[in-house]
Amino acid sequence: MACFFCALSARGPGLIQMDIARNKNADRNPLWRLLPLVHRNPWRFWGGMSLINLGRLLEAFMPLALKMGIDRMAAGDGRLAFPALAILGLMVARYIAFNFGRRYVREVGVEVAFELRQRLYWHLELMGPRFFAGYTTGDLMARAINDISLIRQMIGLGTRLLFVLGFSGIIAFVFMLHQSVSLTLLLLPALPFFAVFGWVLAAKIFNQSTIVQEGFSNLSAQVQENLNGIRTIQTHAQEAHEIRRFEDTSSHYARDYYRLMFFNSALNAWMLAITGFTTLLIVGFGGAQVVSGEISVGTFTAFIFYLGMMLSPVKEGGVMVTLFQRGGSAAARIFEILDHEPEIRDAPDAAPLDRIGGAITIRHLSYRHAGRSHEREGGWPALDDVSLEIKSGEMIAILGRVGSGKSTLLRLIVRLLDPAPGSIYLDDRDIRMLPLAQVRSQVTLVPQDPFLFATRLGHNIAYDNPERPTEEVWRAAESADLETTIRRFPNRLETQVGERGVTLSGGQKQRASLARGLIRETPVLLLDDCFSSVDTETEEFILSRLKTLRQGRTTLMVSHRVSTARHADRILVLDKGRVAEIGTHQELLAKRGLYAALERAQGRRDELTQALVAEGAVAEGSQS
Amino acid sequence: MNAPLKDKTTKDYSVFEDDIDVRNFDMRLILRLTHWIAPYRAQMLGAVALVLLAASAAVLAPVVVSRVVVDGILLPTADAAAPDFGQKALAHWLDGVTGLHPLVVACGLYALWTALWALFGHGFRIMLARAVLRGLRDLRRDLFAHLERLPSTFYDRVAVGRVMTRLTNDIETLFELLAGFGVLLGEFVPFFVAVTIMLALNPTLTFELLALLPLAALATFIFRVVSRTVYRGIRSSVSRLNENLQENLSGIEVVQLYGREQINYDRYTAINRENRHKENRAVAIESYYGPAMDSMAFLAMATIIWFGGHHVLSGAASLGSVILFAQFADMLFRPIVAMGEQWNVVFRAMASCERIFQALDWDEALKEPAHPTPLPADLKGKVEFRHLDFGYVPGSPILKDVSFTIAPGEKVAIVGPTGSGKTSLIRLLCRFYDVPAGTILLDGIDIMEVAPSEIRRRVGVVLQDFHIFSGSVYDNIALGNPNITRADAERAAKLVHADPFISALPQGYETPLTERGRNLSHGQRQLLAFARVLAMNPEVLILDEATASIDTETELVIQDALAKLTEGRTSIIIAHRLQTIREAHRIVVLTQGEVREIGTHAELIARGGVYKTLYELQVQDVKAETAS
Ligand SMILES: Nc1ncnc2c1ncn2[C@@H]1O[C@H](COP(=O)(O)OP(=O)(O)OP(=O)(O)O)[C@@H](O)[C@H]1O
Ligand SMILES: Nc1ncnc2c1ncn2[C@@H]1O[C@H](COP(=O)(O)OP(=O)(O)OP(=O)(O)O)[C@@H](O)[C@H]1O
Ligand SMILES: [Mg+2]
Ligand SMILES: [Mg+2]
Repeated sequence: MACFFCALSARGPGLIQMDIARNKNADRNPLWRLLPLVHRNPWRFWGGMSLINLGRLLEAFMPLALKMGIDRMAAGDGRLAFPALAILGLMVARYIAFNFGRRYVREVGVEVAFELRQRLYWHLELMGPRFFAGYTTGDLMARAINDISLIRQMIGLGTRLLFVLGFSGIIAFVFMLHQSVSLTLLLLPALPFFAVFGWVLAAKIFNQSTIVQEGFSNLSAQVQENLNGIRTIQTHAQEAHEIRRFEDTSSHYARDYYRLMFFNSALNAWMLAITGFTTLLIVGFGGAQVVSGEISVGTFTAFIFYLGMMLSPVKEGGVMVTLFQRGGSAAARIFEILDHEPEIRDAPDAAPLDRIGGAITIRHLSYRHAGRSHEREGGWPALDDVSLEIKSGEMIAILGRVGSGKSTLLRLIVRLLDPAPGSIYLDDRDIRMLPLAQVRSQVTLVPQDPFLFATRLGHNIAYDNPERPTEEVWRAAESADLETTIRRFPNRLETQVGERGVTLSGGQKQRASLARGLIRETPVLLLDDCFSSVDTETEEFILSRLKTLRQGRTTLMVSHRVSTARHADRILVLDKGRVAEIGTHQELLAKRGLYAALERAQGRRDELTQALVAEGAVAEGSQS
Repeated sequence: MNAPLKDKTTKDYSVFEDDIDVRNFDMRLILRLTHWIAPYRAQMLGAVALVLLAASAAVLAPVVVSRVVVDGILLPTADAAAPDFGQKALAHWLDGVTGLHPLVVACGLYALWTALWALFGHGFRIMLARAVLRGLRDLRRDLFAHLERLPSTFYDRVAVGRVMTRLTNDIETLFELLAGFGVLLGEFVPFFVAVTIMLALNPTLTFELLALLPLAALATFIFRVVSRTVYRGIRSSVSRLNENLQENLSGIEVVQLYGREQINYDRYTAINRENRHKENRAVAIESYYGPAMDSMAFLAMATIIWFGGHHVLSGAASLGSVILFAQFADMLFRPIVAMGEQWNVVFRAMASCERIFQALDWDEALKEPAHPTPLPADLKGKVEFRHLDFGYVPGSPILKDVSFTIAPGEKVAIVGPTGSGKTSLIRLLCRFYDVPAGTILLDGIDIMEVAPSEIRRRVGVVLQDFHIFSGSVYDNIALGNPNITRADAERAAKLVHADPFISALPQGYETPLTERGRNLSHGQRQLLAFARVLAMNPEVLILDEATASIDTETELVIQDALAKLTEGRTSIIIAHRLQTIREAHRIVVLTQGEVREIGTHAELIARGGVYKTLYELQVQDVKAETAS
């Protein structure tokens, strides 16, 4: 039990140091923090515990019946029916107590696991990009699966062992005292001596089991990442290298596991040795007392049975300690996740607007990504003092070099990243003062990376609301110029999409992701480079539809193509996180700044065209 | 590889979706595991030897108590004929040698046996753990190596999560099983030794006690039957829980952007509820069974008092042997209890085995020639497509009769509307899929005659669907290839103009990237994927939309750098932006899987076909811009 307390005093391992606000509860012991969860069903838990303890008490009467039987045998007394029937009676009563007791306690364990899963899931739904930068999917999965099941075991079995073993130790002690005071007192001084080494081992088990759990997380994460990138690995013919790397990880894991098993087994052996030694005392001194006639053979036998009972806490204590150790570190790992406050959440005084018009004002917006604070020379913040006024219904194109902050800007507007207070306004309201749900339901971002779920194509398009009628899905597909493509698939909207959309072509994926955004018809639409994998003809078609569709609604689109930008009312050019220029196409050309340079760069092609026109290769019609 | 390859059309990938459940005890599954344990048989044998020793010691300890202490010292009247396994003689001899009190000697003996029991038990457990852990480590490696080499056709259809759990959780279950076998062994051996002693001491009483065994067996059988469907339900709900969570986590950004949190949570809750219900059922069933098995010892005790007592009274048994029986009563039922406990693990483990072996036996592989033709040391880079037909699924052709030749050193562009099969064509050239013999030739050699890995080492392709790994920037460029030094990586990064942004990162080339490179901008990630191919210094270079997310200025810089690099090197460029392909000598237009047009820019414009329309659309933009 001592080891139970070392688990109590241990703190959760901090895997990753992140500058994220942590819950103030984080300093409390993880096991204590499970208590409120257990106490959601106090009657069930403590009732179950009491029943089990009652069962143990009943068990304690068995050696008395045995003693009676043996003494009668020794005395040649044939009245054996009473002790035999007494044992049967005890058996029935004990069965009932244990049946209900165990069930209740374990049900509490199941309930806690249920609750933790629910909490963890919902919590992960609220986490932001900074959090996910610190934890891989494989790691989070390992926690949700293994750690929660360890906690369930701890509550269902560990607590039972803890209370029950403690109790049965005491019961046995009392009964032993009743049988023979001298024999009992003989045992007392030996016990603490034995406990110490057990403590040492248990502490080792605690550390080691944490290492093993982390090892498993690493292993899972490595497998997951590797298989996700399998095509890249195969393209570069690096399979052999990856296999070697995996072998290292799994050998390491096996070694750590072995150490854990070693300590576990050593604890086991130690417990056995203790049992042996104490039995020895009984046999020696008890035997002498039998010879001298102080106690009967029956008492001697009963004593041996009580001894077994009293030592069961010490013996099965190993299991219990392990359960608590692993459960404790599992709880620490779960609470470590739950303690991350959501980076982005509703301000306490956030209030929804009745209607979102779609005007966006950006004032002195600067942003640095986590981990990018000490950029070396030549670095710049992702966004640096950006100010901008977008009228409702405007279509704005955003251009800029790789890494100039375009995506960061769009992500800040949907609050996928959190802007500083007072820097982004939607309809003159600081977006931080709007409920997050409203922002996300009124502003749609189609992300640069077209992630699709491994489900039907139709479900992917109607992702925000699975109840949407099929016509809407088709209409969105049409707007994204995906309709004809889908009609060509044998299963149409029912076509199963491979994981992350692997079974679609680059452009098909991108348009599916676009359709998923267009179907929402929100007042503000943010398109992050959504035409990069689409040919010009298709893009042209989509953009012209988009212009009518988005009439009177605000649209921001990032692009690298001047041809796309041409469709916009105004063009914003970002350079190293700053607004380099903003204006209409003509204004910017006249400015002879970055945009004009970009345009000139694409104009190289123009020179070629002119040459061709001169050759008469380009037909007249194209010039009109 | 001589194993006959199954026709692709017969592959049924849905087996990876199904919940595998083993209904009948299938020893073959377990036996197959011995293949991985076999290399560690010395340790296994050692473990078995130790468990036998431990068990003998375990049995001798109570014998000392009952036969030496009770029958010999405390009640010396009892029947001396019953066997004591030499303990009395041993005690007597020790007595003579040491001259100590017989009780002290008996205690010493008892201490000895217990200590040996503990020691051998420990030895047994750690030897077993060592052998099993090593064996499973090897199994894990073999499975990983197998998965690592499965072709794209497999990963197109089977979700990563589905195979991943086989490597992680399923192997953990096997560990539980094998460690559990250790427990079983630990229980069974004392059982047999105990029964032997009991039979020797008093056969009648032994049979009376053994009559209780069928009762325990029956209870176990009923338990197993009742619990089976419940356990199956639990496993299925757990795997659905995990699947839901995994999908939710990998698409978390879309989930949040499109406000799907609540719906996903509700769905998860429904599965979680179902899981709780099933778990509670299992708890109820186990609560009936577990205490019932404990009760067996009580039943045995009552039997011993009643029957054994009468034997003692009639003089057919000694009191000591009855006390010994009472001590053994517990041991008698422990194997059955342990088996009942293990039963669930055994079935779970068999399902795990089945899943592991299913993946391990999945004999899907690219056709590899028995004697691969090596590519010439100095690859000219002539690429030939001859009447190539291809489809991912039978019945829907993707490429139709594609024929064209790329001369050594030529730069060819492939253009065409999205979904027309450009990427597919490249995948075939890099041997991600099998093609009919003689349809794709590299320097005149049928690529089906060449080892796929060799082609991939010589032909570098910037995938449209690249993947960035967590690890440093340098790791991502070198991809573990020891031949790519830091300097090579930097050179490659400079070529694609990635060096400026990499050098500005907090730790430069050593900056850690997160999963999928999410802490870089999309274009930056693409530049890395580009650089990593250039670092390979391939003889044929293929760019599949390699600059789609790169701005024009950067692209121009890259193009200039690349022009020098690819001088005289065959390259294939796929792009939608025609500006990207301005360096191309010839252009192939692919629409709906067919080569529509092929020729130089001027030729295609002159022809007035698809290319011209595409071209005009882009030219129009520029015209409009320059006009204004
Ligand atoms: N792994 C796959 N399994 C089944 N079908 C596929 C797979 N990959 C692509 N397809 C289908 O094959 C067709 C051609 O796809 P491919 O990726 O070759 O097009 P693409 O020309 O590269 O298009 P894009 O310009 O959009 O990248 C598409 O209709 C696509 O849906
Ligand atoms: N999660 C992140 N953590 C740290 N740095 C980031 C993160 N996301 C982006 N950055 C950095 O911020 C800068 C701006 O990134 P952003 O994604 O906004 O660029 P972008 O303009 O969208 O570029 P691209 O055209 O390549 O998509 C880049 O230098 C990038 O490396
Ligand atoms: Mg971006
Ligand atoms: Mg493609």
